[in-house]
Amino acid sequence: MSEAPSVVPPASVVLVSGGSRGLGLAIVTDLLAAGIKVAAFARTVTPELTALGEKYPNHLHYGSVDVNDSAAGQAFVKAVESRLGPIDALVNNAAIGQDSLHVHTSADHLAEIIQTNLTSPLILTRFVLRRMLAKGLKGRIVNITSICAQRGYPGLVAYSATKGGMDAATRSLARELGGRILANAVAPGFFASEMSAVLGQTQLDQIVRRTPTGHLTEPEDVLPVVRMLLLENTNLNGQVLVVDGAASI
Amino acid sequence: MGEVMTAQGRALPAEDTADLREIGFRSLDFSELALRVEDELGDELNFDAPGLRRIATVGDVLDFIEQLQSA
Repeated sequence: MSEAPSVVPPASVVLVSGGSRGLGLAIVTDLLAAGIKVAAFARTVTPELTALGEKYPNHLHYGSVDVNDSAAGQAFVKAVESRLGPIDALVNNAAIGQDSLHVHTSADHLAEIIQTNLTSPLILTRFVLRRMLAKGLKGRIVNITSICAQRGYPGLVAYSATKGGMDAATRSLARELGGRILANAVAPGFFASEMSAVLGQTQLDQIVRRTPTGHLTEPEDVLPVVRMLLLENTNLNGQVLVVDGAASI
Repeated sequence: MGEVMTAQGRALPAEDTADLREIGFRSLDFSELALRVEDELGDELNFDAPGLRRIATVGDVLDFIEQLQSA
């Protein structure tokens, strides 16, 4: 007996990890503007996130949680459920970067990168999924990964490995969750702000020249893609969507 | 630094101002040098890439290794 095709409804309560600055903050801001209830945590709550809390007191729940503290993360999820309702979407955005050659990166730092960017998001995903499934919910997962998962860059060995791991997990989650929960990843290219922090103007200009769209990735380029994966009915599942202006092809 | 260059059949210039690009001393050569120093010290000298990118001359290499050792 075949089951009737089921549609996963648009997300109504979205949990965003690492939502206090950069792309995470932009995602939180964008979703709130779209009328979605959002829960956001980060190690440090920024004034920008606090201001959003004041602007959207009934739609945003936020707090200071280290993604590596699974007990605190789980307590935060339960608090969100009490305040905003059941979480039906998760954006795994929290991550730490790397800018060191593999042979000169300490073993402790390697472990920290893997813990923060791979192990902790998987543990958070597991917990949120358990809550969703136990409540009979359908839902959506969006993992923010990176072009580094697909292309090689010096100084990013461990970081790339974690992002590749999340891309792979995305595909397996999509299979495992049988269409009841859609799992996709968004892989931005290098953000202009990140690049300018480590490269000179000449190198930046060279990268821009080699990018067919003529500009480096900005958070604003990524927002519509994340919003689509959370809110639209597209049948996209288990995919990694690269947003880099074709710089990598 | 001289040992690394000699092992590659090249000679270390006498001047500290010698440009690393001109003498063909690349970032991986710097890694080899740092790892040789580690062997002598019996301790790891881990560091981020931004500091490495600022190195342009022979003198910069020697200064950076010295900073790592004293850190």
